Amino acid sequence: MQETVAKFREKFSNQVIKSQEKSTRRQYIEFLPPDIPEAARFLFKDLNCRFATASGIDTPEGIEILYHFSDDHTGEVISLRTILTDKKDPQIHSIATIFPAAEWIEREIWELLGVKFIGHPNLKHLLLIDDWPEGKHPLRKKE
Amino acid sequence: MNLTSKALTKSIGVFHAACSPCNNCDIEILDALTPKHDLERFGITLVGSARHADVLLVTGVPNYKTAERLKKLYLQTAKPCLVVAVGGCACGRIMFRDSYNSPCAVDEIVPVDLYIPGCPPKPEALIAGVVKLLAKLRGK
Repeated sequence: MQETVAKFREKFSNQVIKSQEKSTRRQYIEFLPPDIPEAARFLFKDLNCRFATASGIDTPEGIEILYHFSDDHTGEVISLRTILTDKKDPQIHSIATIFPAAEWIEREIWELLGVKFIGHPNLKHLLLIDDWPEGKHPLRKKE
Repeated sequence: MNLTSKALTKSIGVFHAACSPCNNCDIEILDALTPKHDLERFGITLVGSARHADVLLVTGVPNYKTAERLKKLYLQTAKPCLVVAVGGCACGRIMFRDSYNSPCAVDEIVPVDLYIPGCPPKPEALIAGVVKLLAKLRGK
């Protein structure tokens, strides 16, 4: 196992639900939604990882959000996975308060999948028109 | 042929209106302007503002945001202004027909004079299209 991942796992050994090692330099680590901001802060501030992007998808279990972090010195990519099981009103704390780079992708996930990011400084439409009907999320699967 | 359309065939200022394309058509358009294919030998140059344009070159499928802007761009151009739709998307929306963010095709917003299909069209296809457009303008 690579160094950055080892440090990260040591710090968050209690919060990790499960993890998957795709390859030696590609890790998926799953957390409960409330633990995400702390894990993201540690990766960004203490391990000096770069926030690459986030991705959201509507799965049968809930809305899955992946936060991809890259350590450009070692080439490791760590993806934090979390699943928001309440599809009626999915909520998670925003990480845009830790680094502004997450602001736009959270706006995109909010408008396309309807995830509410608590504490986001500027949650308004990014790709869709401003008067897009409220409650209509184009990337949600049909029930 | 009146004077304005005769002048139009001599040197054409093209404004490149990218209406949410995937950028493949845009790369081919720039390729057509490079010395290898050299669209400039027909007197064609890209201009920086729609107000200087004789031809509006549209790529991509308009979405709700760009549809509005394309309409405004067309209104800003000096008439007569020709509209060229480049690529399958601009010609007929292809696979984005049922997309949540696709209100209408390009020719429902502005009157299109020339369609150049392809995904993306080759520079040769662009040149062939331009030659046909000039022939049409000259009434041949």
